[in-house]
Amino acid sequence: MLDGAKLIGAGCATIALAGAGAGIGIVFGSLINSVARNPSLTKQLFGYAILGFALTEAIALFALMMAFLILFVF
Amino acid sequence: MIFTPLEQFAIVSLIPIRLGNFYLSFTNSSLYLLLSTGLVVILFYLVTQNGGFLVPSRWQSGVEMIYEFVVSLVNEQIGKKGRFAFPLIFTTFTFLLFTNLIGMIPYSFTATSHLVVTFGLSLSLFIGVTLVGFQVHGLHFFSFLLPKGAPLVLAPLLVVLELVSYCFRAVSLGVRLFANMMAGHTLVKILSGFAWTMLSVGGSLAVASVIPFTIVFALTGLEIGVACLQAYVFTILTCIYLNDAINLH
Repeated sequence: MLDGAKLIGAGCATIALAGAGAGIGIVFGSLINSVARNPSLTKQLFGYAILGFALTEAIALFALMMAFLILFVF
Repeated sequence: MIFTPLEQFAIVSLIPIRLGNFYLSFTNSSLYLLLSTGLVVILFYLVTQNGGFLVPSRWQSGVEMIYEFVVSLVNEQIGKKGRFAFPLIFTTFTFLLFTNLIGMIPYSFTATSHLVVTFGLSLSLFIGVTLVGFQVHGLHFFSFLLPKGAPLVLAPLLVVLELVSYCFRAVSLGVRLFANMMAGHTLVKILSGFAWTMLSVGGSLAVASVIPFTIVFALTGLEIGVACLQAYVFTILTCIYLNDAINLH
């Protein structure tokens, strides 16, 4: 019973990835948008985009950590 | 013994040491920390012997690239006032880069995939940055907690919010690196286990196991990228926090 509930909980924790997916899409979508407007800034903008990507991805990994906590700690 | 994808993160004590109630064993984690630090020191020492060459060799130009990268990072983010922090930031970057990359070698151990290591690093950096802020600005540093131009009525709410978000920096900096490294290594392990199971079943499934193998191969490339990227992100965020402490905002 508890094991089944744990699995359901861990599965539910991955719903959070929907937000992270949208976030990463927005980061790179905006990058393409801005580079199309001003190609001379590509290098600088790419640095910012990578930083934004890493920050967004970290939020997704917090969800993964919740899943691991539910599965292995409790 | 059950083989889980998390088995690779097990800490094994190599030389057991006990001092009274303290358990200070030399573990595989400490071995790999020493290994990466030693590798950086030896590489940088050998390359710059007698001041290096005017026309750099391959190794020397690689080292120079890392050095110039961090110099431009510090100059861009903090400016002239941040020169004093350059050695610290450079050490953080090279240490994380080499620890992450050594972890990508098969059958080795990733020291940064343990929350103790990353959180200890980020918490000590956070305390250091806060101390620098108080040293530069004195008690005026508390004005950091209230954004400029905010109405005074909102002050009680804003100060609490800013304080929480400021303190959470220490946690998120460490957890980000830890979660990235652990998740990546676990993912590769799970997929390679999947490929191995398919291969050992035999028949048409063994032929189809080429697909997970390809995915594992591509993921290994991605993980090497993530290893460099996370070292960069950790460093640049430290720079941003230090900039906030030195120049307020």
